[in-house]
Amino acid sequence: MNNFSFYKGGKTLYCLFFFGCFLSFTPVLSSNSFQQQSNFQQNKIQGIITDGANVLPGVTIAIKSKANSSAISDYNGQYSITANSSDTLIVSFIGYKTTLIPIKGRKTVDIQLQYDTTNLQEVRVNAGYYSVKSSERTGSIARITSKDIETQPVSNVLATMQGRMAGVNVIQSTGVPGGGFEIKIRGQNSIRSDGNAPLYIIDGVPYASDPIGSSRTATTFPTPTSPLNSINPDMIESIEILKDADATAIYGSRGANGVVLITTKKGKAGKTTFNITASTAVGTVTRFLKLMDTQQYLAMRKKAFVNDGLTEYGPLDYDINGTWDQNRNTDWQKELLGGTAEITNIQGTVSGGSESTQFLVSGSYYTESTVFPGDFLYKKGGTQLSLNHRSEDKKFRLTFSAGYTSQNNNQPSFDFSYDARSLPPNAPALYDASGNLNWENSTWENPLRNLNTIFVAKTNDLIANTVLSYEVLPGLLLKSSLGFTDLSTNETRIVPSTTANPALGADSSTSALFLNNTDRSSWIIEPQINWRRELGTGKLELLLGATFQNQITDRLQQSGTGFSSNSLIYNLAAAKTARVLLNEEIQYKYQAFFGRLNYNWQQRYIVNLTARRDGSSRFGPGNQFANFGAVGVAWLFSNENFLKHRSWLSFGKLRGSYGTTGNDQIGDYQFLNTYTTGVIYNGIVGLRPSRLYNSNFGWETNKKLEVALELGFLQDRIFTTAALYQNRSSNQLVGVPLPGTTGFTLLQSNLDATVENAGIEFTLRTTNFSSDTFNWTTNFNLTFARNKLISFPGLESSPYSQQYRIGQPLNIELLYKFKGVNPQTGIYEFEDTNKDGRISFPEDQQTLVDLNPQYYGGIQNQLSYKRLTLDFLFQFVKQKNRNYPMGPAGMMTNQQERMVNSWQQPGDTAPYQIYTTGYNNDALIGDSLYAESDAAISDASFIRLKNIALTYDVPLSLKQTQFKIMLQGQNLLTFTSYKDGDPEFTSYGFLPPLKVISAGVQLTF
Amino acid sequence: MKTTYHTIKQILWVSIACMLNACDSFVDVDLPKSQLTNVTVFEDYATANAALIDIYANIRDKGMLTGAGLGISNQLGNYADEIISTQNPNNPSLNFYNNSLLPSNTSVSGYWNISYNQIYAANAVIEGVAASKDLSAEQRKQLTGEALFIRALLHFYLVNIFGDVPYITQTDYKKNSIVSRTPTLEVYQNTIADLQNAIAVLPDATATSDMERVRPNKATAQALLARVYLYNKSYPEAANMASAVLNQESLFGLEQNVAKVFLIGSKETIWQLQSGNAGVNTAEASFFTFTSGPPPLVSLSDNLVNSFGSNDLRKANWIKTISKGTSIWYHAYKYKENKSTSVSKEYSIVFRLAEQYLIRAEARAQQGDFIGAKEDLNKIRQRGRLSDTSALSQQEILDAILQERRWELFSERGQRFFDLKRAGKLDSTLTGLKLGWNTTDSLFPIPESELSANPNLRPQNLGY
Repeated sequence: MNNFSFYKGGKTLYCLFFFGCFLSFTPVLSSNSFQQQSNFQQNKIQGIITDGANVLPGVTIAIKSKANSSAISDYNGQYSITANSSDTLIVSFIGYKTTLIPIKGRKTVDIQLQYDTTNLQEVRVNAGYYSVKSSERTGSIARITSKDIETQPVSNVLATMQGRMAGVNVIQSTGVPGGGFEIKIRGQNSIRSDGNAPLYIIDGVPYASDPIGSSRTATTFPTPTSPLNSINPDMIESIEILKDADATAIYGSRGANGVVLITTKKGKAGKTTFNITASTAVGTVTRFLKLMDTQQYLAMRKKAFVNDGLTEYGPLDYDINGTWDQNRNTDWQKELLGGTAEITNIQGTVSGGSESTQFLVSGSYYTESTVFPGDFLYKKGGTQLSLNHRSEDKKFRLTFSAGYTSQNNNQPSFDFSYDARSLPPNAPALYDASGNLNWENSTWENPLRNLNTIFVAKTNDLIANTVLSYEVLPGLLLKSSLGFTDLSTNETRIVPSTTANPALGADSSTSALFLNNTDRSSWIIEPQINWRRELGTGKLELLLGATFQNQITDRLQQSGTGFSSNSLIYNLAAAKTARVLLNEEIQYKYQAFFGRLNYNWQQRYIVNLTARRDGSSRFGPGNQFANFGAVGVAWLFSNENFLKHRSWLSFGKLRGSYGTTGNDQIGDYQFLNTYTTGVIYNGIVGLRPSRLYNSNFGWETNKKLEVALELGFLQDRIFTTAALYQNRSSNQLVGVPLPGTTGFTLLQSNLDATVENAGIEFTLRTTNFSSDTFNWTTNFNLTFARNKLISFPGLESSPYSQQYRIGQPLNIELLYKFKGVNPQTGIYEFEDTNKDGRISFPEDQQTLVDLNPQYYGGIQNQLSYKRLTLDFLFQFVKQKNRNYPMGPAGMMTNQQERMVNSWQQPGDTAPYQIYTTGYNNDALIGDSLYAESDAAISDASFIRLKNIALTYDVPLSLKQTQFKIMLQGQNLLTFTSYKDGDPEFTSYGFLPPLKVISAGVQLTF
Repeated sequence: MKTTYHTIKQILWVSIACMLNACDSFVDVDLPKSQLTNVTVFEDYATANAALIDIYANIRDKGMLTGAGLGISNQLGNYADEIISTQNPNNPSLNFYNNSLLPSNTSVSGYWNISYNQIYAANAVIEGVAASKDLSAEQRKQLTGEALFIRALLHFYLVNIFGDVPYITQTDYKKNSIVSRTPTLEVYQNTIADLQNAIAVLPDATATSDMERVRPNKATAQALLARVYLYNKSYPEAANMASAVLNQESLFGLEQNVAKVFLIGSKETIWQLQSGNAGVNTAEASFFTFTSGPPPLVSLSDNLVNSFGSNDLRKANWIKTISKGTSIWYHAYKYKENKSTSVSKEYSIVFRLAEQYLIRAEARAQQGDFIGAKEDLNKIRQRGRLSDTSALSQQEILDAILQERRWELFSERGQRFFDLKRAGKLDSTLTGLKLGWNTTDSLFPIPESELSANPNLRPQNLGY
């Protein structure tokens, strides 16, 4: 039944075999290749490179107009290079001004480099398949480096980007360690909410960000566990985010939502360096809700009974009928979420190497406890290895990097946030006098019962990549990247009988165990040809390459119920009933051919053409392949003669790009009409229809347009960029919601709708003050973004008729229009917009609220005085958010303190309606409409001191030893008018982000 | 040197040629190992049977007919006068108990969506079997007959809960996504037609096959058809159809020991849902049972418990009393095994013979056959050790039957709610007893998501 044919398999093998040969040829060629001969007299030039005080190892010394000869200074700062006596040396080093030095017949040339505080334009930016000098790039690439990352006490890579990059919006979805983040690069392109993830590439290897957890096991998190926690921020040298068509089209079908390129740290030539960093931190919840105390709560309850015309309290109304202590008052948020998470982080690195071979080895260990009651711990350990080598003749190069991370996350499988906000303040004590869980005679569900239900996730992740390159001819480079990833996660959740009220009489025969194993491994081979030459008065670069990628995900989900003893609960074999809930193997195959053509004319006019032909196994026969491409152009007008010598303008560039990318995030096998394993009945395991099928869906296309201006003034002491972009996604691949009468509620298909994301991104970097002892730089970024549904044929009659509006953003809510509380009845009233005399759905639920941020950004300041450095970042967002939903006031659940202003008696004008114990149907309906009305949305704009770091470099008499003391804080201050908890947070009922204060030391020698 | 250069050039060209041509089929993947195509499923009886049997597992575990707390046994018990809920807002029964269902209620949309998903699976079996060339005539009949029965069963419950509902008979989503609501009368006609077709092809119940009665057969379809006729006020047909079941005396009979009615081997069972793994008992028992008060979620209402005669054996055997101090609570105790046992003892019974007697009694009474009606009614009363009914007039007999049904069928898939509804007694019975009761609560709201996804289903039921 499997569709294997020898022909097809044979072809695949043939491809692989060919590329194997292709690679193995490269060393063979090396012995035969050309020797570059010079017609001039060659001299050996030597010297020492310093910055005036210290020697500089690792500096590149090249000879002008001789592409193939260069040298690197050794750990004593010495270099030697063979050159003609009339040549000119080009000396360059990151962070220093590139210097041109004519040899003028000398044999010894000592060089002193000038430190360059602002000239980041010379930095080479990683663009994935190629790198480009920042000043010469045609695409839109945002970047942060280890400098920005090291100041942040966070464990997730996405957290490091919050507030630091224009056009990149990151939202944390839970404060529990190991949880997820949501990232949107230039807004939501796909109507499908789970189709908006960017492509992650770590050292050249695509890293699948699809969830690895299961909602059956990872119940602590609002979304299934994301694999991105495996990436250790400490190991990252830089993160580049590719945004526009010019930068992303070379990633074709996977570039629509942007590309996140992560480069890990590499060793540098020179003295072997040891670096040890250790820090310890404490984390607490940023903001609590303001809830009622017992007095307010009981007053509400009493009034609710009066309102409902009930003269007696029911036997089950324990809070008020005298069963519970009327004077008890517990702040449940403090009790259940008020703990302190302790965080420790230790990291060590050894790096160094010679001119031809460099290495870096590092290890790290991170632990984080919880703010919940109980002993829970998140542990993460990792190691990173990087090796670079180049042959004597500098033609052959090898780069190897491998990272291994192991996580062990132990959490209660239940987030206490919901209980913390809903429990009546006079609910009983958690423990009885003898220290056991107090069930208060079965009158409540003790929240700490959930301490017994434990979630454990163990994840191991290996990412390895080797890049082999060989310079066949001057300017012609053959290169192949070979990557491998292997991730395995093992999640367990136990629900022992002790989580139930003992009055239910449950014993270990009702205990349950849930297991989820996900193994995902992938390999990728990317052979490439790079060719570059001078052409006319310009430079031409050509890149051709291919990608073959194969990813296999194995998933096994099991459950066991009924154990002879709760101590055997982790042993599935001891379960009376063991079931396999899911056992599948998903294969994803991906193939592409890509190319880039770049022409740079006199560093003034640059054209960059990129293209990709993509094939993906996620689409049915006939729909697998598609073409993508982009054009990028740049004009460096500051290099034009008429501007060249203006001292005020040090840099000026106008760039633009247009092109197409695609999106294949639709899941695997969706084009097949299949049955999948169902549930056992009468000894037979059932077969169940997997889905409604549609074999004809194809790519989602995303067309991107960008124009940007980059300006540097006064030697780039003021550097600013402004980018205008417009992205349009069409042929939307969506699970179209269907009426339940079709048997399913979703159907995968292409929808002829267009979504536009347009915006302005603005960045400004200023060097406010620069001297030997005091430096002050400021980075500012600001993004105005607008998301808009441009067209949607047949929206009115489509299932989306109540979700979207043409001309409006996707992330809108259609709501009832709140009028206020009727002073006579005390019930919420809403606008009867269609004037039919009643509130009807959907006619009256048409008031539109946009939940996208209007603008967002960050402002970062870095001040250093002598040995003291202070770095702080304010993040700001202008947005609206939903209020925290608490249900109708008056029932046996706590409410926000503001509800004391509820309507009391006829004639009152109150902001909130009448209390009810649950019998007042009008009030229940009123509350449910209120939650769907514009009154349930409020301004949630905020300014947050996202990060602050103070570093002191302790003066030591020991040479070449550095000792730093660091104080860091995350989410320390938040200014907002939003009253319902953390303003950036949308996962209601889950733990909001934590505020973290950290102290650490760093020793380098 | 020239040869080297030549070699490199050759390699490059070959590699480019390969990239462009040879590897196009790289992205073809094999079928996932855990899935079968819809065609393959019906090429073989074992897999076709698995596709059908999965619907029973699905019905047992999810949707309206599950015996678990989210099914109608509990929720319609709360909605009517059988069960009371604690006021814990986390209690999913609370909105049912308060009669405060909203169109956005996820239990309500679950009933709708899951039922139509089960109907889809049944239609897929009917279509798959029709298209298959590899099944024998007997196999086709049995598979199709059971699928038709499932389709009728689910539509019958849907129409009684939601009023006019689309009657879905095929799997094409393009058609099914724009359907309108089928008038109630027509839903009944379609249900009856499907059941008649099912009866024509389904095998007879026999003493040897399917000892545990976990697969529907001709008698099961007849039992449902008898009920459908009764609800449709087709009394002669209802009486005849009930007789068709009752006359199979060698197979079915009233279990005279009240304590054994709900055991797996009960002779009274017409169809029950097998529990899956060995040793598992019913979801009803694990949901309804509590061992000490006050009850965590739901308990039987005093109103129901107090209506029993004090010497009714059903009260003693089918209701459990839990007391603490002066407080007393009750829970349904028809199914007694709330935990797994070494061998399963109870399955969730969907059709049993006692109901057929009561159907015939009512159909006979409606046709004026009072003697026959009382004869059937007394069979049920005698088993509970009650004296014969004293009812004389037609109305008295009908009232007695309604009362008897309450005692006999409580907590069994919403029978009480449906009885009050078709007798037109919802308002008179529930007003006052239930503070939240409104006349329009006789129908559930159509799920809000459904109305927005398919405007043809509008308007919403009255009152929502």
